[in-house]
Amino acid sequence: VALVTRFDTPASVRDAPVGSAFYTQWHGFVAGALTTVNGSGTGSGSKFYDASEIDVTPIAQHTLTWMAFPRQLLIANRDDRRVAFAAADAVPATRSPQNEYCEWWVKRNAAGKITKVVFVAETPEYWQQLWTFSPTLVRDLYRALLGNPAITEADLRAGGPGSAYNKFNAFNTTQGIVHFIQSINTLGAAIGLARGSVSLGSQRDNYEMSPVAGTSVDPRVVMDIGSLARKSLAITFEEPIGLYIAGYDDTGFSKPSGAPAGNYWKIVRGAPGRILRLEYEVPAGEGFVVGDIRIGGRPIEWGSQLAEHVTCRIGGIAGSAGR
Amino acid sequence: MRRPTEEKQESPKAKSGKGKAQRASKKSTRGKKAAIAIESHATPSKSIEALVAPESLSIAIKPQVLNKALSSVLKSVADLVVPFPKDIFLPALGGDSDSEVPGAPSEPIYTAVQRANIQGNILPGFNKDHQHFLFFRIRNVKRAKLWLRWIAPFISSMDEVLAWVRAFRSLRRRLGVDPPMCATWVNIAFSHRAIALLAGKADAAGFHDQSFRQGLAARSTYLGDPTDKRNPGHRSRWRVGGPKNEADIMVIVAADDEEDLATRVDLIKARAAGAQLKLLFEQRGDNLPGALRGHEHFGFKDGISQPGVRGKVSSAPGDFITPRYIDPADPRARFFAKPGQLLVWPGQFLLGEPRQATEDLVTAASSPLSVRPHWAALGSYVVCRRLRQDVPAFWKFAVRAAFALGISPVRFASMLVGRWPSGAPIMRSPSADNAALAADDWANNHFLYGDDTRPVGLRPIAGYAGDGFTQAQQDFLGNVCPHFAHVRKSNPRDVATDLGKPHDTMLRFILRRGIPFGPPLLGAKRYTSLFARKERGLMFISYGATIEDQFELLTRRWANSPLQPNLGGHDPIIGQRDERGDRDRYIDFPTPSGPRRIKMKEDWVIPTGGGYFFAPPIAAIADVLGA
Repeated sequence: VALVTRFDTPASVRDAPVGSAFYTQWHGFVAGALTTVNGSGTGSGSKFYDASEIDVTPIAQHTLTWMAFPRQLLIANRDDRRVAFAAADAVPATRSPQNEYCEWWVKRNAAGKITKVVFVAETPEYWQQLWTFSPTLVRDLYRALLGNPAITEADLRAGGPGSAYNKFNAFNTTQGIVHFIQSINTLGAAIGLARGSVSLGSQRDNYEMSPVAGTSVDPRVVMDIGSLARKSLAITFEEPIGLYIAGYDDTGFSKPSGAPAGNYWKIVRGAPGRILRLEYEVPAGEGFVVGDIRIGGRPIEWGSQLAEHVTCRIGGIAGSAGR
Repeated sequence: MRRPTEEKQESPKAKSGKGKAQRASKKSTRGKKAAIAIESHATPSKSIEALVAPESLSIAIKPQVLNKALSSVLKSVADLVVPFPKDIFLPALGGDSDSEVPGAPSEPIYTAVQRANIQGNILPGFNKDHQHFLFFRIRNVKRAKLWLRWIAPFISSMDEVLAWVRAFRSLRRRLGVDPPMCATWVNIAFSHRAIALLAGKADAAGFHDQSFRQGLAARSTYLGDPTDKRNPGHRSRWRVGGPKNEADIMVIVAADDEEDLATRVDLIKARAAGAQLKLLFEQRGDNLPGALRGHEHFGFKDGISQPGVRGKVSSAPGDFITPRYIDPADPRARFFAKPGQLLVWPGQFLLGEPRQATEDLVTAASSPLSVRPHWAALGSYVVCRRLRQDVPAFWKFAVRAAFALGISPVRFASMLVGRWPSGAPIMRSPSADNAALAADDWANNHFLYGDDTRPVGLRPIAGYAGDGFTQAQQDFLGNVCPHFAHVRKSNPRDVATDLGKPHDTMLRFILRRGIPFGPPLLGAKRYTSLFARKERGLMFISYGATIEDQFELLTRRWANSPLQPNLGGHDPIIGQRDERGDRDRYIDFPTPSGPRRIKMKEDWVIPTGGGYFFAPPIAAIADVLGA
């Protein structure tokens, strides 16, 4: 069925009780963000559309992938990857360099070695909506995700009782991670980017354009959707709408013994291919920690070294436009 | 266009009774205190495969049918005839003054001293029919230095190779056959260890390319090579370049004439023996004979698409290293040398030279001084991979899958490559091979993937009638030339990738200088299992200004990944994968009724040696390394 009757939560997670009103609330939020616009320029005849309002028969699915590690840092440090790695991990309070719709948090032991890296692809909007629905539920999720039963609602608030949710709370910055805080990593920004990409202008191919953006994901979205729009297609995001971690590549990761490292990845939220929270940690008993693992012969010194091997995605759907 | 720099308000229009929903939510969670249990599970190593998992292709074929089809396919590929056009007139000296593009950025002019300093296999490339690779280990540094001072005058420069290539190219275009011209050339490259021994540890530490400092053996599994020591491709079993047989020096000797080649190789080996250089391994390479000349052992024309290196040989108008054929009135003349050949700043291949900027196709960025010793300017990193090719395994796979799909094996295999055996691009000739298209250098590389390809204006080329072939239609979704196809994996051209814009793709380009080794199976008069098992493959050689961000990135991030640069499967030609010993790869093959997943369990390209080297400027061979 082309027409979406209810936008589902990212990766269809069921944080609120099944059947609760939160799911209607989330649908309303997504439908509100997905304004239908008609394309212009060489993309006239195309549109970016709200699939809950407009019935388009999909003719193609397109997966847009990009690297979790920030392109901006790779470009600025073309000749020194180590500087780029250090910079990507450097600002846990705002995670400002991590602008590719993937953010991560690094845990180290007393010796300074990395013991765990947690990647998330969860938008602040989802958590804000969840907080609006039930602060207690958000608190419980924080406790469960971070394994810390001492977290209180007050820890997550911006001020005193009744105050708003503070996404920059300690457990989503310096002491842990739950969702995006980087200023442009929002669902609204992703939708806005895609929506704007159906009206690029007179370009006939990608050599006639160069989107100004420091990231990998922005030109990826602009150019891919722009290319579909030039074919006069109607475009929207695949359900369930979300920004996801698609996968990772740990070939060439080795234990201190030189043997291939085990599969130390865990999906903690989401599903294969639609991962919302991904953790990398060596199980106790192996006798070493993440910081002892080597990637292509190089020791893991920063969480960002793993980010280079994590791929993100968003699904696109294209169909015959009509107007 | 980009995302806003400030976070958007999170209050879009409410359309579905938000207030009501909130009230309901409070009711539903009131009094709920139970802790939430997070159930995590080990991520399946092939997580994306589960998400986008087309129906698997069922493959079953009787052995006798397979063998009969295999022998027929091998014969048909070997019988290919590509007519080489003649009576085309190109300048033998300099270039055409009318190829200058008004307003284009000025490109570096390489002086006689610089041209004599750049090794000729970097630019413009040897491209000889016969080549011989020698891999040495230094045992006596003092004697090795003497040998270097001896061999330095033999090293062929860009200047001499380019002069010869220009004359050869001009004659061949006019005659339609190779002119009777012969030359013998020598180039040399050094491992990081060799540089430490010969120039000192401080200079060796000055090379910032970490992969070069580590060496190929240390990076092998990162490139997806086998982790199981029993696998023939494991680095411990390599003929050269494994942990216990890494070479310090690689010498490449190239010649048109086999006797000339042997004479020069014998001389170098004899002098090397006297210098106590241990010959670890040697490999003869030869272009395949007859109609398969320029093809690799699976039968496909190789090396068609090479970046067009910017730069000039003199200040004379039009005297470019890479000839320019686009009409200067066509805006694309600013970034294409000929149709499909993008212009790339030389610093992508030569250390210290202006290199590609990241945000537009045309402008240059400076190369920093700090990433190399001062004497290494105009040098280039070299990747050597000795890749054994199992020709029967590849074609058996193609025959089996093609039978299941109901298409011809050659068509199936061509979709794995992205070009037909002749070299004609699938994008321009989707339904059948086209030898005339393959033979047309101004047409055989002119195609985009994401959008319809527009004809490109050319300067007048005497004797050339123009590109009259059907232009490529857009194939954004990879139904004609699949996303997994080798040529699309290695160079996604105009489409965006996981790393950003097509401009970013240009940072990954390498100069490929490989040559086949071993006796060809295609066209062999007698097909015996013994002969089929003989070693054959490709001596892969590439040059670039970084190993990590060019060769390694292309290999690991794109060829070896089913997700990148676009979702659709692994590169079925060179893709390697080894997740804890699991070497299965797959392709999602497009069919009219949707994609079919085809698994590849066998390796038909097996790494059997190689190394990471640095080809220094020629002056440094005697003056620094040999001093």
